[in-house]
Amino acid sequence: MNPAVPTWAGVAASLALVALAVAVAAQQRLHLAREITIAAARAGAQLAAVGAILLLVFTHGGLAGAAGWLALMVLIAGQVAARRARGLPKALPVATTAVAAATAATIGTLLALGVISPQARVVIPVGGMVVSGAMAAAAVTLTRLREEAAAARPAIEARLCLGMPADRAFAPHLHAALRTALIPSIDATKTVGLISLPGAMTGLILAGVSPPTAIRYQIVVMYMLLAAAALAGLTAARLAGRVLFDDAHRLRPLPTPTGKDHR
Amino acid sequence: MTGRMPSTGPALFSLEQVTIRRGQALLLDQVTCQIPAGTCTAVTGPSGAGKTTLLRLLNRLEEPDAGRVCLDGRALPHLDVLALRRRVALVGQAPVLLTSRVRDELRAGQPALDQDQAAGLLAQVSLPPAMLARGTAGLSGGEAQRLCLARALAAAPQVLLLDEPTSALDASSARAVEQLAASFTAAGGTIVLVSHDTALTRRIAARTLELHAGRLTITGPAPNTIDLREHA
Repeated sequence: MNPAVPTWAGVAASLALVALAVAVAAQQRLHLAREITIAAARAGAQLAAVGAILLLVFTHGGLAGAAGWLALMVLIAGQVAARRARGLPKALPVATTAVAAATAATIGTLLALGVISPQARVVIPVGGMVVSGAMAAAAVTLTRLREEAAAARPAIEARLCLGMPADRAFAPHLHAALRTALIPSIDATKTVGLISLPGAMTGLILAGVSPPTAIRYQIVVMYMLLAAAALAGLTAARLAGRVLFDDAHRLRPLPTPTGKDHR
Repeated sequence: MTGRMPSTGPALFSLEQVTIRRGQALLLDQVTCQIPAGTCTAVTGPSGAGKTTLLRLLNRLEEPDAGRVCLDGRALPHLDVLALRRRVALVGQAPVLLTSRVRDELRAGQPALDQDQAAGLLAQVSLPPAMLARGTAGLSGGEAQRLCLARALAAAPQVLLLDEPTSALDASSARAVEQLAASFTAAGGTIVLVSHDTALTRRIAARTLELHAGRLTITGPAPNTIDLREHA
C-alpha cells in the first residue's frame, strides 16, 4: 500500500474533524450539528458505494461499462443544471444535451488523439471531471440566459419589432451570457498553479507521482475543462436561444425574480 | 354598448372575435373591429383596458387565444412574420435604445441607410442632423422617444403602431410628432395610436376604438366629428 494513502483506521480517525465541525456548530448555536453529521455520513456511504461499484466496473465493465457510467453522470448533471435554470422552457433536455455533447466531444477527442488510455480506470475519473465542468458551464449559461431574456425583454422585442429574426434579436444577450459562463474556466486556466494546486495534480502527487509527471496530467485536465466548458456553454446557449422563442419569433413568457410571468 | 360605424376607407386590419387571456384575466374579450387604411385610428380607454395588447396583436407580438386578426383579408399567421413587422412597425411607450450611437440606432432599422437618409429621418422627428454623430447615452427621454420613432421609420413601414408616442415629449416635440403623423397618413400610411391625450387624438385621429376591461365599447369616427357620449 502507498504510505501516502490513509488506512481505514486513518479514515475513522479523520472523523475527529467532523466532530470539530459539529462542536463549532453547537458552540455557536447554529443548529447545524445534525446536518453536518448527516452530510458526513452521506459522504462516507456514497463514496464507499461508488468505490465498490467502480471496482466492479474497472474489473469487469471495460470501456462499455465506462461509457454507461459516463452516461449516468451526464443524466444526473443535466438534471442538476436544469434545476438551476428553472423557468426556462425545456431546461432538462437542453441542459442534458449540452453536457452530453461537451462530454462526448471532449472525451472522444482525448481518446482519438491517444492522450488518455481507453481504460475504464482512466476514462471514468477523467470523464467525471469533464461532466462536472460541463455541468457548471451549462448551469451558468442557462441561468444567465433566462435572467437576460427576462430583464432585456423590452430590448429584445424592440429588435423583433424592427423585423429582426429571433436569433439576431437575442444575439447580444446570448453572447453576454456565454461570456459570463466561460469566465470562471478561463480564470481557472490562467491562475492554475499560482493560486491553488488543482485536484488532479494534488491527487497524483499524494499518490506518489513526481510533480513534473503530475503537471503533464494537469495541463491536459485544464485544457479539456476549458473545451468542455466552452462546448457545453455554446450548446446550451444555442439550444436555449431556440426554445426561448416560438415559431412567430416571439419571446416566450418567462418567470421574473419575483416568480411572476413576465411578458 | 358596442357601436359600429362605417369605415372611412378599405379595412386594412380586421379583428374577428379576438380574445386574449393571461391566466384568469381577459386582456381582450371578443373584440371585433376594423381598422381602415390610410388614416389614423386612436385606441383609447383607461389603463389596463387592453390598448397595448391590441397594438401588439397587429404585428404578432401577441397571438389571440380565440378569434383571428387579418391584414388585407389574410390571417396574420399566413403572412411572413418578419416581413409583417417591417411593414407594421410598433413604437413602444418607453423608449428602448439598442446601440451606443445615434447613427447606428437608425441603421438598426435599416442597415443600408446613408448619411442623407439618416439626417432626413432625424428631420422628420424634429431632431437636428448634427445628432447623427452623437452617442445615445446622453439623450433626453423626449429625444430618445423621437429617435425610436425615426428608427421605426427607417424601415419605410406602411403602418405605424404608436403607443403613447408623446408621453415623454414637451409641447413642441409633441407637435412635431403630430405633424409627422399627419404627413404619414397623407402619404397613404396607416397609424394606430394608443394615447391618453384626448386632445391629441381629437386632432389627429379620424376614428376611435374605445376599450374598457378588454371589451370594445365604442368604435367610430373620432370625437372631433361626433360626440361619442351621445351613443353611450
